[in-house]
Amino acid sequence: MAQDFDFDAIVVGSGITGGWSAKQLTEAGLKVLMLERGPDIPHQTGYTTEMKAPWDMPFRGEGDEELYQREYAVQRLNRHFTEFTQDHFVNDAENPYQTGEGSDFNWFRSYNLGGRSLTWGRQSYRWSDYDFDANRRDGFGTDWPIRYADIAPWYDLVEEFIGVSGSMEGLPQLPDGKFQPPMALNAVEAAVRERISARWPERRLMVGRTANLTEAKEGRAKCQYRAICQRGCSFGAYFSTQSSTLPAAQAAGNLTLVTDAVVEKVDYDPATQRVTGVRWIDKAEGRRRSASARMVFLNAGSFNSVHLMLNSASEAMPAGLANSSGVLGTHIMDHPSTLSVAALMPGFEDVTTFGNRPTGTVIARYRNMDEMDGEGHTRGFSYQGGALQSAWVRGKREAGLGAEYKNSLRAPGPWRMVLVAFADCMPRETNRLMLDRVKVDADGIPQLKIDFAFGAEEHAALAQAKADAADMMTHAGGQVLMGFDRPGTGGGAIHEMGGARMGHDPATSVLNKWSQAHDVPNLFVTDGAQMSSSACQNPSLTYMALTARACDHAVQLLREGRI
Amino acid sequence: MEGRGWSRREFAGGGSLLALALGLPSAAVYLEGLDKGDAPSDRQRAIMREVADMVIPDTDTPGAAKAGVGDFVLLALAHGLEGSRAALAPDAVSSTIRQHLRRDGSLDHARWLENTLDRAVGGDWPAKPAERKLEALAAIDAEAFAEGAGPHPWRMVKGLILTGYYTSEIGGSQELAYEPLPGRYDPALPMGQDTRAYSNEWTGVDFG
Repeated sequence: MAQDFDFDAIVVGSGITGGWSAKQLTEAGLKVLMLERGPDIPHQTGYTTEMKAPWDMPFRGEGDEELYQREYAVQRLNRHFTEFTQDHFVNDAENPYQTGEGSDFNWFRSYNLGGRSLTWGRQSYRWSDYDFDANRRDGFGTDWPIRYADIAPWYDLVEEFIGVSGSMEGLPQLPDGKFQPPMALNAVEAAVRERISARWPERRLMVGRTANLTEAKEGRAKCQYRAICQRGCSFGAYFSTQSSTLPAAQAAGNLTLVTDAVVEKVDYDPATQRVTGVRWIDKAEGRRRSASARMVFLNAGSFNSVHLMLNSASEAMPAGLANSSGVLGTHIMDHPSTLSVAALMPGFEDVTTFGNRPTGTVIARYRNMDEMDGEGHTRGFSYQGGALQSAWVRGKREAGLGAEYKNSLRAPGPWRMVLVAFADCMPRETNRLMLDRVKVDADGIPQLKIDFAFGAEEHAALAQAKADAADMMTHAGGQVLMGFDRPGTGGGAIHEMGGARMGHDPATSVLNKWSQAHDVPNLFVTDGAQMSSSACQNPSLTYMALTARACDHAVQLLREGRI
Repeated sequence: MEGRGWSRREFAGGGSLLALALGLPSAAVYLEGLDKGDAPSDRQRAIMREVADMVIPDTDTPGAAKAGVGDFVLLALAHGLEGSRAALAPDAVSSTIRQHLRRDGSLDHARWLENTLDRAVGGDWPAKPAERKLEALAAIDAEAFAEGAGPHPWRMVKGLILTGYYTSEIGGSQELAYEPLPGRYDPALPMGQDTRAYSNEWTGVDFG
């Protein structure tokens, strides 16, 4: 089909959505170029620390804090950034960005094959019409041009392919899907589930729905319960580009994968009003290259896709590619999140667990559904967390020396339960991305500047989440140790999204309901940049479903000769 | 000392490689690569080794000295693990602490410990009888963890001793159990007096 073009489609980015674009488009028979800005990390052989013990590492897995302060000043704040995983995160010193005055934003990034699919938290939740209708209902942001029924079949497809384990719960706010058998709740969690449900029937604690296999499938083994996913998993037991979509795309044939390729511009032809290809910097060879294609999929990660569009401004589109609305870069979001409660859970001293379950528990959203019962906020929050036994680290808080002290740390410690709230982030015009006017990166590309702050609604939601969490833990027999109600720094949920939002109206949105640019029919943005609202559940599954849906539509348009 | 060079991250010369080949504890090898300003003295190494062993002695499993914990703690302090090179909060700086501050406001914990122990016994701590040494350390421990006590440098040092021990092969696979490939999840097993924690139960380490 490529005719005068080098490729039918160019996919920018190889992460969670890029892998899906490559798979869907190659399986439809298209000739596809996938560009990844970072180095190759081959499945299995590239996971260099996977099998190592702490004592095999120079800094025992904690890593060289001196190096981290200097070169990983942001990434080091990620809980999953360790000496084992440091090569799966960017070097902040080499990849700078700016924040606006009064703004603070921790931008966690993985520039490597597979992007953040290697390091993601794997929690996989469907959105419901409480989420897709949220903007219309309370007037924040712009109305989504889709509803649950539009995306439901694509959720089916994605869940079945990536493998999501989880329990069927029948909750309208967190629709069930095509799940593999769920992982088990431990004894404390099972008891807490019953105690909470008995008092508050609308509050449901369940095991986290996670993209870790409980049954083997297509060349992937089931989870080994190590919970070291972010190092890379040779068993292929969690979804990543490497374990899942890339092998499928390669099996389909016609995929060209180029790593170390930093895309700097998307080319636009004003005569045809189409994009014609992309240009990139070949980091391995230190030269600039380009390729043409009949359509372009941006899957660079929310902020980088927007960055690329802003940086692709041209005479015909001076405000940025596909930005006739002027809203490109605006209404970015990230879930406000905090530890709502940590509680001691007495009464379970005679029970323990074996194995490391790579998921926690979830309490689905229950506020502001059919009754508006939020205090100072109009949307939802949900909790992730779980019950665990404290490890030897408890000794750091205790007096003692000698044999008795040592022996006291030998067995698993007291049970605790933690609930971490994630709340809706309201889409606000003032939270936005721009190109920095002065600062450029090492390649001479203007740096991204992030303006971001949480507002009154986010603070109110987390305040209610803290109060509710303490109530639930106390009712479930726990002793509350602590709890917080202030959101952490933006970016902390690693759910940054928005900036090229979907909408009905080309005057107020960047993309239509097919993730297709209103202004440029052969340009698709199917990562988190397309999001018009944030919901309060983890967004990756929705990005994947929207990507598969957009690919299907794009292929149809291509076949019909409409793009 | 400040504006420290980064050469310490590199392995030192042939001596280190020899030490590696002989299977010496790796932290000792890395210590050789430290800049002069951060390199501990032999006396500090001896003190830290002994102090760590007082916290975690030999029992039916080897203790901290055999696990090479002293050198790990010194390496960790030099590289700022667990926040040990952060500037101290003003309310944490007493007169005895002030004299061991670096110019960047962080505390030289190794020097502080050496000095504090010597002062506690009115002389040369390493040369005192074992009981006297332990008594002095126990007093510092009690002070640091007393109810209502503020920040205390001993908490940092003791924390790194625990990290060093339980992430060593001895602490992580002999004192505790290590199962890198569980293969299954048992959500509810009986726990008794002899149950050992798994050192690779990462969630408990992260949140415990």
